Amino acid sequence: MHITAKEEYFDEPACEHNGVAKDKKACKTATPGSSTGGCALDGAYIVLSPIKDALNIVHAPINCLGNSYNQRTSETTQRENYYMYGFTTAINENDLIFGSEDKLRQGVIYVFNRFKPKAVFIYNTCVPALTGEDIEGVSKELAAKLKIPVVPVFSQGFSGNKNLGNKIAGDALFTHIIGRKEPEIDLLSDYNINLIGEYNIRGELFLIKKALKQAGINVLSTITGDSTIEEIMYSHKAGLNVVVCSKALIYLARKMKEKYGLPYIEGSFFGLTSTNKAIMDIVNSIGDYELTCSAKKYIKIRTRNTEENIYEYKRFLTGKKALLYTGGVKSWSLVSALNDLGMKVIATGVKKSTEEDKLRIKEIDGNGNIIMLDNGNPVNLIKIAREEQVDIILAGGRNQYTAIKSLIPFLDVNQERFNPYTSYEGMEFLAKQIYFEIKNPLFKLLKESNINL
Amino acid sequence: MMNPIKNMEINPLQASSSLGAAMFFLGINNAVVLMHGAVGCASFDKVTLTKHFRENIPIVTTALNEYGAILGGTDFLTSGIKNIYEKMKPDFIGIASSGLTETSGEDIACIIRDFKEKQDLPFSKIIYAGTPDYKGSLEDGYMKAMLALLEDFSGKETYKTFKKSKKLTKSINVFCPVSFTPQDFLELREAVGYFDLKPVMIPDLGLSLDGHLDERGYLQTTADGLGIKDMENIHNSEFNIVIGLSLGNAVKSISELTGLATYYFPNVCGLKNSDKLFNLLSELSGKEIPEKYKRQRRQLMDAYLDTHFYFLGKDIALALGIDLLDSFSMIYSEMGANLKIGISTKFSDDIKYRFLNFCEGDLDLLDNYRNVDLIVSNSNAGFYAKDFRIPLLRAGFPLIDEIGHGYKHYILYRGAVNLAVESANLLNKG
Ligand code: SF4
Repeated sequence: MHITAKEEYFDEPACEHNGVAKDKKACKTATPGSSTGGCALDGAYIVLSPIKDALNIVHAPINCLGNSYNQRTSETTQRENYYMYGFTTAINENDLIFGSEDKLRQGVIYVFNRFKPKAVFIYNTCVPALTGEDIEGVSKELAAKLKIPVVPVFSQGFSGNKNLGNKIAGDALFTHIIGRKEPEIDLLSDYNINLIGEYNIRGELFLIKKALKQAGINVLSTITGDSTIEEIMYSHKAGLNVVVCSKALIYLARKMKEKYGLPYIEGSFFGLTSTNKAIMDIVNSIGDYELTCSAKKYIKIRTRNTEENIYEYKRFLTGKKALLYTGGVKSWSLVSALNDLGMKVIATGVKKSTEEDKLRIKEIDGNGNIIMLDNGNPVNLIKIAREEQVDIILAGGRNQYTAIKSLIPFLDVNQERFNPYTSYEGMEFLAKQIYFEIKNPLFKLLKESNINL
Repeated sequence: MMNPIKNMEINPLQASSSLGAAMFFLGINNAVVLMHGAVGCASFDKVTLTKHFRENIPIVTTALNEYGAILGGTDFLTSGIKNIYEKMKPDFIGIASSGLTETSGEDIACIIRDFKEKQDLPFSKIIYAGTPDYKGSLEDGYMKAMLALLEDFSGKETYKTFKKSKKLTKSINVFCPVSFTPQDFLELREAVGYFDLKPVMIPDLGLSLDGHLDERGYLQTTADGLGIKDMENIHNSEFNIVIGLSLGNAVKSISELTGLATYYFPNVCGLKNSDKLFNLLSELSGKEIPEKYKRQRRQLMDAYLDTHFYFLGKDIALALGIDLLDSFSMIYSEMGANLKIGISTKFSDDIKYRFLNFCEGDLDLLDNYRNVDLIVSNSNAGFYAKDFRIPLLRAGFPLIDEIGHGYKHYILYRGAVNLAVESANLLNKG
């Protein structure tokens, strides 16, 4: 049974959290009575659901899926998007008494017959985990019967947070999918990489892929934005893993390195400097002279081009102050993007960041006195924003109302962002959005009309 | 071959009872909702409600981990309450449980009672609604929270010692269903006010989630809503009005708990039912129906005539929670529209006759009705509507892919005009 999460998840040599937390499980503690991020199920679903020819079945009472499905903004090139569907066994009281394994079995067979997926992921959740349903057994049996991977994902929420869920999903892919197929010969060019942790929010993957392609690099598999089961099955054949924007999936990259000898690097595509650096890091890892030359040339042209396009925005934004509150890698990669625009980042959230992330923030931070925000409670955010007189808050949707109700300009840089912000085009979107948001006269109007604020 | 046994919810229409309870609690002023369970439930609910109402939603969690799940969550619950009090100082904490905490068989009510006795926290109310996610619907959870609240304010000294005050304005209690939009609440409040009656809306999502910029700026708790003071006075009201098909089973309890005469309306939509409500208000208040509503009544009659052409020979599919299914089918039936299929989370014999087909189930049932001319459902049906190229009238919960639903209303005369006109326009385009 998988009631408790594997110890291994909390012992991540590649994750700097390890060194910090005395208790290895520190990663997953949350204070009762506070509002927190999602659970392991949320994290696992985020990672696996963008795979476009697999089905995701949440084995749970209605709340786990029913209250919240169909809200992701991942994009795919395929019209029939399975990930737009929400599937759940909707465990009811009867199932609780008599067991729900049969229901799950029948349900999976039904959806298999109807949708013909290439794989099925079955998510375990709090209630069936507590009652001890054998979803592993059911999955094995179904995999044999349906002749596709049927993968149990032990993502019961009480085991931990979203980050843990990311890892669990990575583990599921590693154990059940990766390495199950060999790529067709014509897919093999010399410069094949995988992107890990890129979910194609608002089509960001498309922009990254476009830039990489023009620099001479081929993306063999994406884990998991706009991907297919097949491409993940043969992802072990790439020459390099690039972990984008997700510390949690370093776990997967490390496992792949151990088993397949596949090296990995980390990279971010937010902002001009980061994008350029990521591309150069990739070509340097590949170590091909010609590729390096062509990539350098490409970067030079694109940088000049982008700088021209954002010139007006940058002129206005130079010296403006931003408060950044977002997770993990974005805590530094967006600092760099904002610096690219001439902006001064007053504070950045580091609640979910590792020591390494923090080091990078310090490296990037031009003024050297950026505030590292450990406490993201809304009251604290507003206090700092007011004290420092920031011009804009960039954060996730959770903080949107915190900011705008306090009449502080705001831009969503997480899930709910309206535009892709990666790569060169993304930099332009970001510059434009921030420019218009800060310039908006609305905030002044409302401040004048609301004397108490 | 198709497997005949489906046993799977594909794009569910239902949401959980804990979410229903949370929505009820959000209609109370200066309140915080505490979800007793692991972190995910509160997070999912908060995200969806935030997107639906486009407002900050004060939901927090007791953050049960695996030890709490197995060994018991008492400490998580009590320290959750303490932390909320210290950080947010609410007047009211509404606690909804989850599948996890109810499966482990703890007596949550008892834990809270003990806690309240031992602690001396100077705020007035902690109310608990038992809402295991494997049991009951959104509507059930909402009703449970409503009754839990009434129970807490009834049967105590307040009730017995209360003397009817001789105030000039008489108040009445209005119990509204979970399907009401914030604007529905506001419209009804206004209408009752025209009869010189002060409505106590239970709950009042019209005040808490109508989307107003509070003069205090950002707040950690609900910015307005049903006040605790009003709650304490409910026995002082003249009578109760209970609205909503889903609240039918609560009428008796409401009447007993408040000790007041209670008038029940499955819905207050369309011509006939609006008439009934206005007549009742007029009779009980001794005031004539205001000119404004007489005029709106005539406008509705005219709108029915103007729009009914658009519905001739057209088929409509509705997939909605039971209250809205009742409300909308009431209006559509009055104008003679053809309701091909009604899908809801619960079966109801009372309204079955209005539909050609009626079934209980998920949104995927729409897949069998690819030829209808209009779908009426929530955002999650957007996927089917787009695929079948059928216009979608968005209503219900959740509505996350369009903005502004909080300003819409479908009750009383004017609400029926809204539905008739919006539907007609979509049918015309489709
Ligand atoms: S915390 Fe548990 S019950 Fe809640 S959503 Fe996550 S898996 Fe489901």
